[in-house]
Amino acid sequence: MAGSNEVNLNESRSVVPLNTWVLISNFKLAYNLLRRADGTFNRELAEFLDRKVPSNSIPVHGVWSFDHVDQRIPGLFYRLYLQDSHQRGCAGATVIPDMDKPLSTTDIVPVIIFFHGGSFSHSSANSAIYDTFCRRLVNVSNSVVVSVNYRRSPEHRFPCAYEDGWTALEWVRSRKWLRSGRSESESESKVYVYMAGDSSGGNIVHHVAVRAAEEGIEVLGNILLHPLFGGEKRTESEIRLDGKYFVKLQDRDWYWRAFLPEGEDRDHPACNPFGPRGRSLKGLTSFPKTLVCVAGLDLLQDWQLAYANSLSSFSHHVNLLYLKDATIGFYFLPNNDHFSSLMDQINNFVNPNC
Amino acid sequence: MDELLAVVGYKVRSSDMAEVAQKLEQLEEAMGNARDGISQLSNDTVHFNPADISNWLETMINNLDVPPPPHPPLPQQHSDYDLKAIAGKAIYTTAARVKPSPAESSSSTRPLVLVDSQENGIRLVHTLMACAEAVHQNNLSLAEALVKQIGFLAVSQVGAMRKVATYFAEALARRIYGLYPENPIHHSFSDMLQIHFYETCPYLKFAHFTANQAILEAFQGKNRVHVIDFSMNQGMQWPALMQALALRPGGPPAFRLTGIGPPAADNSDHLQEVGWKLAQLAETIHVEFEYRGFVANSLADLDASMLELRPSETEAVAVNSVFELHKLLARPGAVEKVLSVVRQIRPEIVTVVEQEANHNGPGFLDRFTESLHYYSTMFDSLEGSVNSQDKVMSEVYLGKQICNVVACEGVDRVERHETLGQWRTRFGSAGFTPVHLGSNAFKQASMLLALFAGGDGYRVEENNGCLMLGWHTRPLIATSAWQLATKSVVAH
Repeated sequence: MAGSNEVNLNESRSVVPLNTWVLISNFKLAYNLLRRADGTFNRELAEFLDRKVPSNSIPVHGVWSFDHVDQRIPGLFYRLYLQDSHQRGCAGATVIPDMDKPLSTTDIVPVIIFFHGGSFSHSSANSAIYDTFCRRLVNVSNSVVVSVNYRRSPEHRFPCAYEDGWTALEWVRSRKWLRSGRSESESESKVYVYMAGDSSGGNIVHHVAVRAAEEGIEVLGNILLHPLFGGEKRTESEIRLDGKYFVKLQDRDWYWRAFLPEGEDRDHPACNPFGPRGRSLKGLTSFPKTLVCVAGLDLLQDWQLAYANSLSSFSHHVNLLYLKDATIGFYFLPNNDHFSSLMDQINNFVNPNC
Repeated sequence: MDELLAVVGYKVRSSDMAEVAQKLEQLEEAMGNARDGISQLSNDTVHFNPADISNWLETMINNLDVPPPPHPPLPQQHSDYDLKAIAGKAIYTTAARVKPSPAESSSSTRPLVLVDSQENGIRLVHTLMACAEAVHQNNLSLAEALVKQIGFLAVSQVGAMRKVATYFAEALARRIYGLYPENPIHHSFSDMLQIHFYETCPYLKFAHFTANQAILEAFQGKNRVHVIDFSMNQGMQWPALMQALALRPGGPPAFRLTGIGPPAADNSDHLQEVGWKLAQLAETIHVEFEYRGFVANSLADLDASMLELRPSETEAVAVNSVFELHKLLARPGAVEKVLSVVRQIRPEIVTVVEQEANHNGPGFLDRFTESLHYYSTMFDSLEGSVNSQDKVMSEVYLGKQICNVVACEGVDRVERHETLGQWRTRFGSAGFTPVHLGSNAFKQASMLLALFAGGDGYRVEENNGCLMLGWHTRPLIATSAWQLATKSVVAH
C-alpha cells in the first residue's frame, strides 16, 4: 500500500507545476482531516482552515466586488464581481453600486452565475481560491460574475444547493441594474444570464438549468468545469485513475453519501441525471447550450463525457473541451496552458458575437 | 513568497516549495499508515496559522511522530520550476493581467456587504458620499443642501440604513457648521453605553473571550500572575478569566490585576469600586487576589516604574488592551512610547483587540467612505437584537464613534482605528513577534457565538494566527497576541 502511494504521488508531481501540486495536495490533506467515517463533517476545523477574503469595493486589476446577503436562508449570500468600467468610480477609489442604471445601454454584458466547487461540502463563495478565480473570469470575459454561497452538505443535503441556485437565478434575473444591451433595437435590455460551476458547482448548474428550461426561464448558456456526476456502476476511468491524481474513489463516494438523501445510492438523478433513474431532455428545447470542460486526468471523465454525449443525443448544443493532461483544479493557478485554453473557450462562449 | 499561492491565501517561499512538497508526501503516507492518525489530527491536535503551510505540516508531522523520509528525494524533483519534468506545454504566464503590479497590489480592502432590501438604501449612500465630497472640497452650500436631502431620504428608509445615515449626516452637519462635539465624553456615560453594547452583540464578549484564551495559555504553569489592563472600564473581562484560573488543575495562581483608566468626570474612584467587586468574586472562588487601580489621562503618561512590577521569575505578566491603543494615534509618539513601556514590563503576552478598519487615513473622503462601510455593517448586525433598550444604547455608543471619526480632527479625533495589517507592522517594528491563536480558540469562539441570540450572521475567521469576528463576510474586530521578540534571551 505504502509503495503504490509513493508511485501515485510521484506521478501527479510530474504533470503539474510544483506550486499547483502543493496547493491541491494541501487541500487534499485538509479534506482528509475533515471527513469522518461516520458521515459527519468537522465543520469548525473546515472553517478554520479555509482561507477567506472579504469583498472589495476598491477595484483591483479593474475588478471590484461586493456581497449581497439573503437573510431568509442561513449563510446564503452572493458575491458580485464587476469591472469598474461598468459602474462609476476611478481606480483606487471606492465604487458604490449604482442600482438605478443598467450595466450598459449600448453593449451586452454577460452575467455569469457561478457555483464554486468542493464536492458540495467544502469551500465558500468568499474562499480565496474562488474569489481569485472569479476575478480572473470577469477580466477574461468582460462579464459580471455572481458567485453563490449555497448551503453545503452534510448539514444541508439535496436539494438545498439546487434551491439556493434557483433563488440566485431568480434574484439575478430580477435585478434591473444587471441588465444590458440596447433597449430600442432587436436585442432588448435584459439580464444576459449564463451559469458556470466547477465540480459540485457544475452539477448544480445542470439541475438549475433543467428547472429553468421547464419553467420557461431563459439561461443563455451553461459552463460545466469538470462537473460532479457519478453512478453506481464503476467506469473504466474511475478504476484506472483511482488515487492517481489527487482523487480517490472512496472519497467521492463519501461526498455523495453526505449530499444525497439518506439511504439513496449514486443512481439518484441528482448524481446520475441520465442514468437508470434519470430522464431524457429531448424536446426541452429551451435547455441552454453547454460548454463541458473535462480534465483528462480526472477519474470522473467517463461520467462527464457521457453527460456531454447525452446532451448531444437530446439535440442540445454542446461544446466539449477535453484537456488531455489536466488534473482537477488546474484552473486555480494561471500557470499552465490548460488555464488559458479554458478561459479562451469561456470568453468565446459568453461573447459569441465578438 | 510564491505570488500565485499568496493570492489564494497561502504563504510559501518559492525556495521552500520542494521541501513543503516533501512534507506533504511524508504526512500523507504517515496518515495512511497510522491507525488513528487522521482522527487524532482532526480532533486532538490544535492547528495554528494554516496560511503557513510549512509550519502547519510540521506541527502535524510532529504530532504523528512521523519518521523522516526513507530516502532522499530524487534529484530532478529539487528544482522548483523544472519545466522539463512537466508533461505537456505548461508555462508560467507573465500576462500583465494576472501579475500584480506594484501600484495596484494595495493592501487596502474596503468590503461592502448589502443586506436584502438595502438596494433602496444605495441612493442614500450615494448622497452621503456626494455630501462628504462637497465638504472635502469646502463647497459648503452644496454640502448643506445635500445634508438636508439626506435627512429627507433617510426618513423613508427602514432599519440600519436609516440610523447609520442619520449619524453620518449629523457628523457631516457638525463639520459644515463648525459645531465640533465636546471631548472627552463623560466616562461614566460611555461606560454605561459600553455595558449595553456588551449585552446586545457579541463583539466585546468575543474580544474578552479570545484575549483570555491567549492569556490563559501564556499563564500555564505560572504560580503568580499579573494582568495589566489598559482598558479597565467596568472590568467585564476579568470574572471569566478568574473563574478559568480557579478551575485550573492543581489550583489557581495568585492573581494580581492592575486596572488603568481615565479619571471619572465626577471624581469618584470608579476604578477602585470595580476592584472591590472583583475582590468579592475572587473570595467566593478562592483565588488569591490583589488589585491596583491607576488613573491616567492617557496611556502614554504611564511609566513601567509606576506599576510596581515584581521580578519575572516570581510573577508572569500579561498586558491587555481592548479598543484602547488606537486612541494613542492622535498624538505623535504616544503609541511608540506605550509600546516601549510594554517592552519594559517584559510581559509573557500582550493581547490586543482592535476594530478591523482603517479610519486613520490622511484623507477625509477615504475615512468617510471606510467608516460608512464599516458602521453600516456594524449597525446591520445589531438589527436582530432582542432587547430594544440595549440596541438603542449600542447605537448611541457606535454613533459617538462615528461622530468622532467624521467630525473631529487633531487630538480630539481619538477613534483612529487601524487594520490588523497595520497593527502587525507597528508591533513588529516595536520588537514583538506574534503569538498565534489556534483552532481550539477558534472553535470555542464559534460555539460562543452560536449561543448568542439575535442573529446568526456572525462569523469567526482565522487570519495568519489572529482571530477576527465579523458580520457575514465582513470582519469587524480582530484579536491578536504578541510576545517580546527577544523572549528567548534569559538575562534582562
